[in-house]
Amino acid sequence: MKVSYNWLKDFVDLSDISAEEIAERLTVSGFEVEEVEYANKYLHDVYVGKILKIERHPAADKLVVCQVDVGFKQVQIITSATNVFEGAHVPVSLDGADLANGVKIKPTAMRGVASDGMFCSGEELGVDDNYIEGGSLYGILILPEDMKPGTKIEDALMLNDVVFDINVTPNRPDCNSVVGIAREICAIYGKEFKEADVSYKTVGENVKDYVSVEVKTKNCPRYTASYVKNIKLERSPLWLRSRLWNVGIKPINNMVDITNYILIEQGQPMHAFDYKYIDGKKIVVRQASAGEEIAVLNGNSYKLDSDVMVIADANKPVVIAGVIGGVNSCIGDDTTESVFECAVFDLKSVRLTAKKFGVRTDSSARYEKGVNVNLPTTALKRALHLVDQLGCGEIVDGVVDVCSKQLQQTEELKISYSKVCKILGIDVAKEKMLQILNGLGIVSSIEGDVITCVTPYTREDIKNENDIAEEVIRIYGYDVYNNVEGVMFENSSITIGQYEPRLVLENNLKNLLVGGGFYETLNYSLYTASACDKLLLAEDDERRNVIKIANPISEDMSTIRTVMAHALLVDVAYNLSVGNKDLRLFEAGRVYQPKALPLTELPVENNRLSIAVCENGYNFFMLKGVIENLLLNVDLQYKLERSKQSYLHSGVSADVVTADGKVVGWFGKVHPTVLKNYDINQDVWYAELDTDYLAALAEKKYATKEISKYPVVERDIAVVVDEKVTNGELVAAIKSACGKIFYDVNLFDVYRSDALGEAKKSMAYKIMFMSEDKTLTGEEINSAVNKVLKSLEFRYGAKLR
Amino acid sequence: MKEKLQQIVEIGVNEIAAADDLKKLDEIRVKYLGKAGELTQILRGMKDVPAEDRREVGALANTVRESIEKALTEKLCVLENAKLAADMEKERVDITEPSQGVKKGALHPLTRFNNKFMDICVAMGFTVVQGPEVETDYYNFEALNVPKNHPARDMQDTFFITDNILLRSQTSNMQVRCMETMKPPFKIVCPGRVYRNDSDSSHSPIFNQFEALVVDENIGLKDLMLMIKEILKRLFGEDVKMRVRPSYFPFTEPSIEIDATCQMCQGKGCSLCKGSGFSEVFGAGVVNPKVLEMSGIDSTKYSGFAFGPGIDRSVMVTNKIPNIKYLFRNDLRFLKQMR
Repeated sequence: MKVSYNWLKDFVDLSDISAEEIAERLTVSGFEVEEVEYANKYLHDVYVGKILKIERHPAADKLVVCQVDVGFKQVQIITSATNVFEGAHVPVSLDGADLANGVKIKPTAMRGVASDGMFCSGEELGVDDNYIEGGSLYGILILPEDMKPGTKIEDALMLNDVVFDINVTPNRPDCNSVVGIAREICAIYGKEFKEADVSYKTVGENVKDYVSVEVKTKNCPRYTASYVKNIKLERSPLWLRSRLWNVGIKPINNMVDITNYILIEQGQPMHAFDYKYIDGKKIVVRQASAGEEIAVLNGNSYKLDSDVMVIADANKPVVIAGVIGGVNSCIGDDTTESVFECAVFDLKSVRLTAKKFGVRTDSSARYEKGVNVNLPTTALKRALHLVDQLGCGEIVDGVVDVCSKQLQQTEELKISYSKVCKILGIDVAKEKMLQILNGLGIVSSIEGDVITCVTPYTREDIKNENDIAEEVIRIYGYDVYNNVEGVMFENSSITIGQYEPRLVLENNLKNLLVGGGFYETLNYSLYTASACDKLLLAEDDERRNVIKIANPISEDMSTIRTVMAHALLVDVAYNLSVGNKDLRLFEAGRVYQPKALPLTELPVENNRLSIAVCENGYNFFMLKGVIENLLLNVDLQYKLERSKQSYLHSGVSADVVTADGKVVGWFGKVHPTVLKNYDINQDVWYAELDTDYLAALAEKKYATKEISKYPVVERDIAVVVDEKVTNGELVAAIKSACGKIFYDVNLFDVYRSDALGEAKKSMAYKIMFMSEDKTLTGEEINSAVNKVLKSLEFRYGAKLR
Repeated sequence: MKEKLQQIVEIGVNEIAAADDLKKLDEIRVKYLGKAGELTQILRGMKDVPAEDRREVGALANTVRESIEKALTEKLCVLENAKLAADMEKERVDITEPSQGVKKGALHPLTRFNNKFMDICVAMGFTVVQGPEVETDYYNFEALNVPKNHPARDMQDTFFITDNILLRSQTSNMQVRCMETMKPPFKIVCPGRVYRNDSDSSHSPIFNQFEALVVDENIGLKDLMLMIKEILKRLFGEDVKMRVRPSYFPFTEPSIEIDATCQMCQGKGCSLCKGSGFSEVFGAGVVNPKVLEMSGIDSTKYSGFAFGPGIDRSVMVTNKIPNIKYLFRNDLRFLKQMR
């Protein structure tokens, strides 16, 4: 909200406080001043001048030489402008002047004649026709004759203001106004608030003879109206225009300007109707009917329905309540009689309507934050005061006031002084606390521990001790805490800290991966549903049921991911595209699987660890080693089965399957078609683990055995088997054939050659034997090896090589 | 005989001293102590020594043998060490050649910051919890004193899925979930992702927050400040300065924002902190009693405070990350710098 320094001066004496200091103090007491703007920032060394004499330039037909009185001296200005005349009052920029359009003025000579400066157009001063007559003219701005030569132009045009851009928090709707901020400044500095003048003369008669008001909706707790006749529509005086202009509002005419003035000063949106268009002399506040339509002031036309509240006359809607006025009843050049509206509309209703039509106005912005039900009468009186002061029309006696809400000027609250101190953790002296509260207009007194607070109607946000504590400390000064010392939790409990188990596991796994050369990535959990296609998910794969965001930021981020792999593949493709090589990446993230669509309950959020490798010479068994090592951290019995993941290579991938058949991980080479879909032309290895499942397993327990005193004996064998026989099968057979003296077995070579026969391979094993209670004899070992060979031959047709 | 022995010792010891390789030394050994060695011969000829001299000569002969043996052993040691040293010198490597084997990777800077923050909190008695990111309107807003169509909703552009289900816009949802399920006193901290429907050069639609909540008897703003001061010291060092400003959050009252010494310029003033030397790290406040009551906690007995940093910015600043997009781009050239 933009607030003018000069405007604030109407309500609080600021003669001893600079704008910069106000900005600082407002910020530390809860009204963050985001910017301090100087309305005339780019304007100086420009003065009002009076042209005394105009002569032709001796050397140029299109130039004239002017002698100009700028008050403190006489200067000579050369101009090509054609709208100047002797006696004209004009803006004169002198040596060193800065203009609003960034131009800097230096004395110069034009065709041999010296010029001390330049006359200015409205544009060069940063104003236009809306602000001052002739402001948009291509030529020199001719000033009113009452502007005295020598006056600084920013003073003459009343641009010498400072504007605070204040971030008003939603709990303080009362401060979306000059008076609200002025009250805060009074509280901060202990100054007296100067009430606005709300007096005005009327011409008698009775407003009720001109207009009636009927409220037919619960969304309008209060509607007040008054009537002005014999209106003289004209420009507002410069002081009023400057108030609006400096806070960024375009002056229009005296009646409309008054409504805007009240909006800014009092925080009360107003509307002025042209009376002759109000059918039946009647204002009806109601919900619109389906099929109604209204053309409004922003040039658009909207179809209405019963969710939209309107102000209507006897026949038609004339305003979308609280949001924007219709063209059918607005103040125009021929307006002579007007109804002034000051109303309160329900904030939710205005908010929904503004959202529905995508129309945000100064009016809707205030209604959405809440306008106090007590405000309209004060604001309306203030508006009528301005009508009277400006002489824009005759005010008819009385105000129509339809109010369905009980008006309460103040509210009494009893709170505990010691509780306020406890909340703050510091002792604020009773007198100091009362002084602060009273300064804020919260009339307070104390008896024992009980403070009785009478809050003004503007402060609907104050309900309990915490609210009072905040009021006290923000004025007392939060800087008391900047160097806080003492013992924390002095009077409270000891609690024991701990991590969620999954985070502990996840961190262990992450650190292992980092030790193995992996880099952690972070990826968006939003993606496009086409990721499921790229990953070749089957039509009936449940992961195709993705949750869609109703208001996505872009198609790319329109759904919530059900698959991890997409993100890492995108990362791999990106890194390859910028020339990065040897990629080992991982991500700890979530997938979000809905139970049903459309969503009626929260989805299952499952934490996963995903891994991707793109590196020359990498292979399936290296990745398998990574996964095995990670799984050693948990107490999991698992077996590997051929993977069913659509995006993995069907021959070079495995699922990690628990004893009860649950798939808790998978790894392998990425499917060639998937790689193509991601524009990757190198092998990529991918793995994923369900960390929620793993973290829920019981803690791994260790039971170690005594180390045997007897030596381990090794024997190597190599057997030729069919290609389809697996290592797993052979190892199991070796183990069972060895019986009790089996210690370990390692596959140390796989050899394929035409000499072995078609689809044959040689598998070489180192078998280790050991006994717990004796040294094994050569015979025992030989016998075991023979058993192994027989068993392998019998079961798998293996031949000793 | 005696003279001969004296001679042997003198010449022998000199020869040994002069020997400059193992082969020569062995030759000397053979010359004196070998089967046909000079000393061996003398000892063998002992039986020809008259009986009355035998004892004396015998003793001398033994001394001489011992001297020779000792000199040999010592020299052997010297020569062997010299050979070892020479051999090792031959194996000398260029220590500036690159290392081999797997090189360490790196955690994401955000994880490192998260871990540091969580460690600090756990040490202070906080339990780390995590919660849903797809959340109901109730937990994200209503139970935090932000009813439907409340103007405070404008402070956060929210991604909606249905009228009642959304992507959480703040980790504060976990305040409510914990208050509903845990019995005071408790301290929780929740790190997590949050989502807002705005994206520009300085905002990402997905970013990370922490939410910390303490519910207990007899706690207030002072405890909050002391705790935050301690956290700031552990995060940014003993010299960190803190600045408290008023703010507004619907679920805390009073609400504050806490600035700490800008970590980009160490308080000297820079473009990031707009010359103030401070940058915002925490939003915080005393839990609004209304919020406690909504979650079933007796606000006459218990009070609470909450604080939460947006951490992406701190991660950026403490690691001097030049562009917020780096956090999610996963470019190896960036990640490698975090080793």
